[in-house]
Amino acid sequence: MVPHILSFARYLLCEVNVSDMNDLFLLNDQAVAAAVKAAVARIHGDYGAALCSIRFQVKYLNAHTGIVFLRFPKSCYKLLWSALPFITHINSRGQKIPCFLNCLHVGGTIRTCQKFLIRYNTQQLHRMLPKCKNEGEKQQIRQAILGCFIPGGNKEACEDDIECEEDEGE
Amino acid sequence: GPDPIGSSGFHRTVLKNGSPYCYMKVCLVLQDQETRLNAVELKSLIITGLKDLHGEVGAALPFDVLKFDEGSLTAVLRVCSGGLVKLWSSLTLQGYYQSQACAFRVLQVSRFNL
Repeated sequence: MVPHILSFARYLLCEVNVSDMNDLFLLNDQAVAAAVKAAVARIHGDYGAALCSIRFQVKYLNAHTGIVFLRFPKSCYKLLWSALPFITHINSRGQKIPCFLNCLHVGGTIRTCQKFLIRYNTQQLHRMLPKCKNEGEKQQIRQAILGCFIPGGNKEACEDDIECEEDEGE
Repeated sequence: GPDPIGSSGFHRTVLKNGSPYCYMKVCLVLQDQETRLNAVELKSLIITGLKDLHGEVGAALPFDVLKFDEGSLTAVLRVCSGGLVKLWSSLTLQGYYQSQACAFRVLQVSRFNL
């Protein structure tokens, strides 16, 4: 059963890279949204700012890992995506946090981004395993890897994903 | 196909494999008709309009002022075909020159040198 979707979106899964990990806790979704809108307005002018003012949202922000989901309309996501590398800092709580955004994945639904994030985090944990200093840390990481799963399972909503992930011929 | 020539006098012919450039003949109309500009000031005005509407990317759009008649404030601009929409939309929305109202009249657009 294919759901009737009125407006397609693209979810950009980005990672906020900072030099001091503690700065991540200063971030909130309004600060990230303001930084994205400012960069789009600077790079693409009034036209870009107008595109951003409707249907752009920060859908999820994890202050521990710096992972953020940005939602753009499907019709103009490439234009808005091109402004993200020009973000040099985020203003939050009176502080100017130098950072850059790294786009890890583009998905048609939040669900596909979630699935990617779980695979990505699992890979990161696997990479951390050989670097462990003692058995206690290794056990912690093994437990974390075993605990990685997507709530609700992988089977459902496959048709939704394919419908949403189709790209317009450009 | 081309629109029939209507009462507005506007006729549009679309060629699929024209040259890589588009040429625009434009005329700048100013509130104070005595004001004069030179070609550099005209180009600077157009770049300002591109920057307002299309940001840094717009301001970097390469275009040339091929001809400029300072008396009638008429110019021939050349822009790469992909930049026509950005340039034309910027000219449309350019409303001010140094605090006086202005308007760009687009007289002719062609893929071949005017």
